[in-house]
Amino acid sequence: MYAWVWRRIPGPWPAKLVGMLVLLVAALALLFLVVFPRVGPSLPFNHVTVDTPTQSPAPIPSG
Amino acid sequence: MRGTGELLVTAGVIILLFIGYELWWTGLTTKHDQKQAITALQREWARPVRQQAKIPPYGSGLAILFIPRLGRHYKYAIIQGTSTDDLIKGPGHYPGTALPGQVGNFAVAGHRTTYLHPFYDINELRPGDAVVVETQQSWFTYRVEDIPHTKAKYQEVVSPTDVNVAYPVPDQPDAALAPTQRVFTLTSCNPRYSAVQRIVVHGVLVSTLPRLLGLPPALEHKA
Repeated sequence: MYAWVWRRIPGPWPAKLVGMLVLLVAALALLFLVVFPRVGPSLPFNHVTVDTPTQSPAPIPSG
Repeated sequence: MRGTGELLVTAGVIILLFIGYELWWTGLTTKHDQKQAITALQREWARPVRQQAKIPPYGSGLAILFIPRLGRHYKYAIIQGTSTDDLIKGPGHYPGTALPGQVGNFAVAGHRTTYLHPFYDINELRPGDAVVVETQQSWFTYRVEDIPHTKAKYQEVVSPTDVNVAYPVPDQPDAALAPTQRVFTLTSCNPRYSAVQRIVVHGVLVSTLPRLLGLPPALEHKA
């Protein structure tokens, strides 16, 4: 997989290296800024409120 | 085969990154939100207008929380609301529960292990410990203890659906019962890194001092 990406990046090896680093940073940014913030809050250890399972007269939202 | 191995290693690295994100990165974003909320509160409080206790919009700062037992510098802006988006900014005030110092139950939820984990050590609170809340007008000093005339102990471990603990009279099945005491409730997940249960800490208001008079006795170590 990584060898294939390496071959696809044009230019001499220093240019390939820079290209790989740019791709790596882009992947990390995607994970930390988009994917993780969406996945995180739905995980159980982030639930800290008491909450009724269905509806209650004065609903307390979960979080 | 080699491709499969690379994929598996990549997946493992992503999971490790995610753990790092949850435990550390989320704290950075919360720290930023907290700084903003505290600055906004201080700016608002500095205005000469005397305001009655009012409820800010969801996601905005309501008051400032100090718990000396959890650290000399323990200070958090309490955010209005307990939705996911509110709680990532800091401890959240349950909508519909009493405001700081009011008769009834001032209830606050906070993260235990992520988002700067304001309630990480909440299990360390013992009867007699001070929980101080600063508002524009007042210092409200609460003390951790069993709530008199109720079944509510100072510390409880309950089911996630046990909303009784946040009722105006905690642990009183009749939600309509009129409260007479000024109490507080903190909730978080339990055990740490899990959400099987909720840990709850209760206490009662013991003193109200004008904010202009300076730090209350429970915070004199900061002076």
